[in-house]
Amino acid sequence: MSRALLRPALELRAPITRLLQSIRPKTVTPLLGATATISVRFFNQTTQHVEQPTHPNPAVVANATSSLASQRPPLSTQPQHQPPPTPPSTPLSESVRALLPALAAQPGHYITIHIHGVPYLVTEGDSVRLPFKMPGVEPGDVLRLNRATVLGSRDFTLKGAPYVDERLFECRAVVMGTESEPMRVKIKKKRRCRRTKTVKSKHRFTMLRISELKIRTEAVNES
Amino acid sequence: MTIKALQAVSVGRNGVGAFVLQCKKMDFHYCDWAGSSRGMNGFIKSLLPKFAAAHPQVEFTVSPRPSKHPVIIAHYINGREKAVCVRNMEPYDILKKAELLRDASGEKLRRVTKPVQSVNESVRGIWSPYHGNGMRV
Repeated sequence: MSRALLRPALELRAPITRLLQSIRPKTVTPLLGATATISVRFFNQTTQHVEQPTHPNPAVVANATSSLASQRPPLSTQPQHQPPPTPPSTPLSESVRALLPALAAQPGHYITIHIHGVPYLVTEGDSVRLPFKMPGVEPGDVLRLNRATVLGSRDFTLKGAPYVDERLFECRAVVMGTESEPMRVKIKKKRRCRRTKTVKSKHRFTMLRISELKIRTEAVNES
Repeated sequence: MTIKALQAVSVGRNGVGAFVLQCKKMDFHYCDWAGSSRGMNGFIKSLLPKFAAAHPQVEFTVSPRPSKHPVIIAHYINGREKAVCVRNMEPYDILKKAELLRDASGEKLRRVTKPVQSVNESVRGIWSPYHGNGMRV
């Protein structure tokens, strides 16, 4: 009797703040192709890598969950991640310098972005269904995609070796939500054995919408 | 022949300009008598206030549904509803179901083979045998 009363009390006793303090900070590996420009999540288990917004008006960059700002613990209490040291920037090649403005001047562009090594050929406004559920993101989060192999227009194509220089483009995607496939049932049965085993699968997938694809011609002047 | 303008109907692309969460309302039904609703009662007391405060764009309703299992019903912008029965679940499991409903769009579940879906015409144009370098035979 007492255990039945104690168990629900134990479950309700642990407040959400305990969950946040028990999280071990995770370092962002350079293999990840995307960085998230979002604030700390309230119910999620993984700590986020947050890019400091360089936009002059921070209210524009903040997403829909900015109302959470007053409730979450201040970011200074969490250990600060040192950003990975940026490699020395290589100069752009002559063909890139000469033809990038022409590529940018054309009306339509496409880009082959890589997310965890998998390529997706997208234009602005496309929706991408990733073959996995991305942890630690909520609908409305903005991801800055920095791995691309091909950036092209109708008459010009910029091929990366192996990736296109990050300074040449800006590609942002908004997390739309998580979709699910219909339930699949696989029945496993051997011949001359009556026993059947049923296995159910219902995978979840993260949906992204490519909100921005911009070619930075000023990178030619900077380098 | 007179030249007529082509009518271009605008297609909504949620996320390109502003992002609108597809879930607009969530109903939480509980029961005071049923044992299967214990987790839901605990969820409503402990976790629901913070979840609702974190989503000001969603309308939350809490109402008793006596002698029935607890259920969460989510209403979406495309007019469809999704109901999830949360009988005999713990409060944190119910929270995961609520997050599942919040992340979903109201579309029916369907199997999608291609990852990218686009309404834009092709950037490099359609191939034509009369243009380009031609083929040497």
